[in-house]
Amino acid sequence: MPISKEYIIKRIIMLFLVVLGVLIIAFIITRVIPARPELLWVGPRATIEQIERARKELHLDEPIYVQLYYYLKDFFSGNWGISWRTRQPILSDIFTYLPATLELTITAFLLAFVLGVVLGIIAAVNYGKLIDRVISVFSIVIASTPVFWLGLMLQLVFSIWFKVLPSGMRISTEVAIATGFKPITNFYILDALIQLNIQALIDILKHMVLPVAVLMMYPLGLTIRTTRSLAIESLQEVYVKALQVWGLPRRLILYKYVLKNVVAPVVAALGLSFGYTITGALMVELVFVYPGIGYYIGMALLSFDYPAILGGIIFVAIIYSLTNLVVDIIHAWIDPRVKF
Amino acid sequence: MNVVFKEFMKFLIKRPLYFAGFIIVLIFIVVGSIAPYILTKPEDAWGLTYDLDKAFKPPSPEHLFGTDALGRDMLNRVILGSRYSLLIALSVVLLSLAIGVIVGLVSGYIGGAVGTVLMRITDMFLAYPPLLLAIALATVLGRGVVTTIIALATTWWPWYARLMYITVNSVKSAPYVEAAKVIGLSRWAIMTRYIVPNSLTPVITQAMLDIGSAILEAASLSFLGVGVPPPIPEWGRLISEGWQYIGRAYWISLFPGLTLLITVVGFNLFGDAVKEYLNPRLRNVAQVRI
Repeated sequence: MPISKEYIIKRIIMLFLVVLGVLIIAFIITRVIPARPELLWVGPRATIEQIERARKELHLDEPIYVQLYYYLKDFFSGNWGISWRTRQPILSDIFTYLPATLELTITAFLLAFVLGVVLGIIAAVNYGKLIDRVISVFSIVIASTPVFWLGLMLQLVFSIWFKVLPSGMRISTEVAIATGFKPITNFYILDALIQLNIQALIDILKHMVLPVAVLMMYPLGLTIRTTRSLAIESLQEVYVKALQVWGLPRRLILYKYVLKNVVAPVVAALGLSFGYTITGALMVELVFVYPGIGYYIGMALLSFDYPAILGGIIFVAIIYSLTNLVVDIIHAWIDPRVKF
Repeated sequence: MNVVFKEFMKFLIKRPLYFAGFIIVLIFIVVGSIAPYILTKPEDAWGLTYDLDKAFKPPSPEHLFGTDALGRDMLNRVILGSRYSLLIALSVVLLSLAIGVIVGLVSGYIGGAVGTVLMRITDMFLAYPPLLLAIALATVLGRGVVTTIIALATTWWPWYARLMYITVNSVKSAPYVEAAKVIGLSRWAIMTRYIVPNSLTPVITQAMLDIGSAILEAASLSFLGVGVPPPIPEWGRLISEGWQYIGRAYWISLFPGLTLLITVVGFNLFGDAVKEYLNPRLRNVAQVRI
């Protein structure tokens, strides 16, 4: 199903406006609300000269709309400030940490989608029976679990008590040294594959098991619930009854007709849950010392590194808006009824 | 009201899961309200004293949830923590509901330039992933119970504003509103008598469903160190206190987390129950056979 060019162009213009909105809110939070914004910018051990310089750099002596202008200009020219903690430009820090987060969230999302649709359909087909109840309760419980707590508990059981899974970092140092693993793209799975380094790949995957398991909980719960209620609805549709009367095999009805009605809304729901997952990643990466954007923002929070906190948050918000755009386009592509 | 309540109770009793949710919510609210009066070791709960001889004691009949790094009884701390979770979650949801309903109503019914501007502002807030903006705001505002409530409510109301806006827009064109216009009622009378009462159900249901999330997000803020400051025994904070001792004294994190989980599950079940009760279409799904 082709999507019109106008639709995509319209959505991209909207994306630009949304990013502008994100920036304006961030501007209000960091520059308008605090009494002395320059203090947030330079860190706790700054000298008076540094504070004065920050006042100039942030144009704090000028009217607020001039400040906003310079703020936006800095943002679009990639000048997001310097992190106190790493002493690096924030944007370059973010791009170093980004691949780890993408690897984690994409894996969690794909797993959640596949598992969630399967479990949701199983529950719907067995509506009201024990298995449906078990799956439903499971979906509610996993969507209500505090991710940081679950991360700690899994770490306790699997890494500390039974020592079956590693936790902390993306690859064990011994393995990296022994196998000569070198990050190229910073997407470690991809890097291991490029280098045909199977031992490193296994170690990398082992490091991902626990964080992915925790991270997929929320989208999994949501996918199960959405799939289940949609499948129950569409199983009652007249045409499904008609197909049954026609004597079509159960399996065919399920996979060809019911699934079609389920997938598009589930994709939309998953897109919404991406927001929760990305904030979940913040805590999951912090708990598992997994060096992604979440870990970066988390460490910045713990050391009150304001420029890094805000840079990270703005970046994640932009990624979130981009994901929403992509999800909407996929949604419109799968389901031609969608009109905006 | 009494009849509705009885009906709802009948509905709950027939569904054991929803009933369990209701009981959890009830216990949480009761314990949260009377927490300071049922503590056996109030000085432990408020974190005023410490006794290093009693530190890191595993769960035992004397200390059901064990003791923390400073020898304080975890059970007492968790009980007192419920008060803060209750206070924060209810304040956040009620405050957001009030702002959201007004903004949604103004932009949905009155509309015009003000309405458009309000909805665009709402969209700006919705462009942030949940919790992230609250983290930014809490960082700038500093730690505290009130700042946590402000940070969460500021980022929470747009969801209700959007929902209210959509509902008001659909109610606005209902035949009974047209009829009220024809007989010459004022805009204000139409709004207060017809629009508001008929638009509140979805947004209030959503608010019920959200209390669990509010508890969870408040705990997340505290866990990240930007929410409630020590020595207040907020559950997220208790979990983060146990973080560094996880291998040595797992119970410091385990029990607050478990309590948090059960409470949130309870609120989510109860929210689902209210939603299903108010929406008869969900209530009587015919048996599906395939």
